[in-house]
Amino acid sequence: MNADRFGLGWRPLLAAGILANLERIDIVEVIADDYFRASRPERRALRTLAAQTPITLHGVSLGLASAVPVEPRRLNDMARLCDEVSPRFWSEHLAFVRGGGIELGHLAAPPRTEATIAGTIANLSRAKQIVGVAPQVENVATLIDPPGSDRDEASWLSAIVRNSESTILLDLHNLYANALNFNFDAHDFLARIPAERISTIHLAGGKWIGRHGAERLLDDHLHDVPDPVYDLLEAIAARAPQPLTVIIERDGNFPAIESLLAQLDRARQAVARGRACAITHEVAA
Amino acid sequence: MNPFDLRGPEFLLFFFVLSVLALIALVVTRKLAESSAAPKLDLSDPYLIAYLRGAEPETLRVAAVSLIDRGLLVASGTQLKTPDNTSAEAVRRPIEKELLRRFKRADEATAIFDDSRLKATCKPYEQTLKHAGLLPSESIVGARWTRLLIVCAVLGGVAVVKILIALERGRTNVWFLIILAVVAMLLAAKISFPRLTESGKAMIADLQNLYAGLKDRSLFLRTGGTTIEPMMLAAVFGVGALESADFAFTRVLFPRAQAAAESTSTCGSSTAGWYDASSCGSSCGGGCGGGCGGCGG
Repeated sequence: MNADRFGLGWRPLLAAGILANLERIDIVEVIADDYFRASRPERRALRTLAAQTPITLHGVSLGLASAVPVEPRRLNDMARLCDEVSPRFWSEHLAFVRGGGIELGHLAAPPRTEATIAGTIANLSRAKQIVGVAPQVENVATLIDPPGSDRDEASWLSAIVRNSESTILLDLHNLYANALNFNFDAHDFLARIPAERISTIHLAGGKWIGRHGAERLLDDHLHDVPDPVYDLLEAIAARAPQPLTVIIERDGNFPAIESLLAQLDRARQAVARGRACAITHEVAA
Repeated sequence: MNPFDLRGPEFLLFFFVLSVLALIALVVTRKLAESSAAPKLDLSDPYLIAYLRGAEPETLRVAAVSLIDRGLLVASGTQLKTPDNTSAEAVRRPIEKELLRRFKRADEATAIFDDSRLKATCKPYEQTLKHAGLLPSESIVGARWTRLLIVCAVLGGVAVVKILIALERGRTNVWFLIILAVVAMLLAAKISFPRLTESGKAMIADLQNLYAGLKDRSLFLRTGGTTIEPMMLAAVFGVGALESADFAFTRVLFPRAQAAAESTSTCGSSTAGWYDASSCGSSCGGGCGGGCGGCGG
């Protein structure tokens, strides 16, 4: 039986659309940081949401991909929230978000080195120790190639997940944007990471920025999922037989809920095509 | 110290404190007994939510506005009318069918509140909410009666014993105590039977919290029945929350709902922490205009 799930990122402005269409939405992803300092009624409302549909918690502020140890108090916040709402899983970005006492306010890609691999693995171990479950880890989009890197993103990501208990939350628009901005093949990237360790997929959209000749694709979550991202999703579904959770993230410029549901349907179709392709190849083999 | 040996004024003070404690105990035990984890509800049905919030009147208001929004009822001043070319079979829900039948002839919108057939179509919502523990079921009402009777027995018993002792001692100035006991028991009866259970109250508060973002942009909601958002807003916050010009007809049809909405404040939307650069609790700054390097998430 196929246990793939398809869902949306929870945003207050999408509440009516999401809650009125739960028969078409398998799972809802909530930004955990929105609730760390929330009032009791707000946290109770989150529990009520969790009673209506499976939820996942997505962190944005732990800064796990760093040689600097993640602060226990931040992990304690996540642990408390996980205890309260029992998410299906929780996830964080492979990014650093602070350093030297300065909050970047941004999910920055760290230098891809042995040191950040070791630091990230240690942080993931701390996260598992305190929260109880290791987070899924998400690749980030970056507009600059992280200075000081001595390897590419696929090798760096693979080393982290192979040496930790975490699985991959693969953001396909981040991958797509990085591939276009740094001129590598996204499908080659997929072939080089451990497909069996992919648990969740993020889909989003972006826009081109920058002057002519030096454009960059910005992952802004304000646009529809572009066609090539569905192709990447299909490719993953063909390579990864395990159940996948697919989440569409939209942070603003909200279309009608029907448009988001239609994109979710396209994601379902892409996964189904990938699964069918994998079966065909198995039979042929 | 035997409280029954207290003199009149002191005993009245003792009885007053006892009554307050009994009333507090009554409320606390009811809240504890009727609190439970949020049940799973069909949140795609605005009428179910409207019933939870305001019983038949709210459900009928929301249903009428929904039909107007979809062009199946026509509002003219304070009256409603089903267009001649619209059949009750055009809609799915019994409450909508009955509303379309009800207004085959133009009539005042507020007539819906006195129509027993319309009210009867709300019965399934009541049953669903009772089953979910959000409205008091028979067993919950029974438990409420039990708690009330215990409180009344205690207060009444203490008062009767003191009155008998007073009469035995030849004192007849017991009227203050009788009045105090009756008032306490009436108050106990009044606070024992709220329309909603504690879980029901919490569910409404939670829904209002979850829908806070929608309320923030109520001014921009349009008629036409293309999205369910206006009806969910009306269901969760009341018809009066439909503040956009498109829904001005609701203020004419149901002025009391509008007045009620204006007298209530809204809960704030959830605020994100340090990372919430966007207006909606997103993981990245959606409103950064592209100059911030994207969200990377």
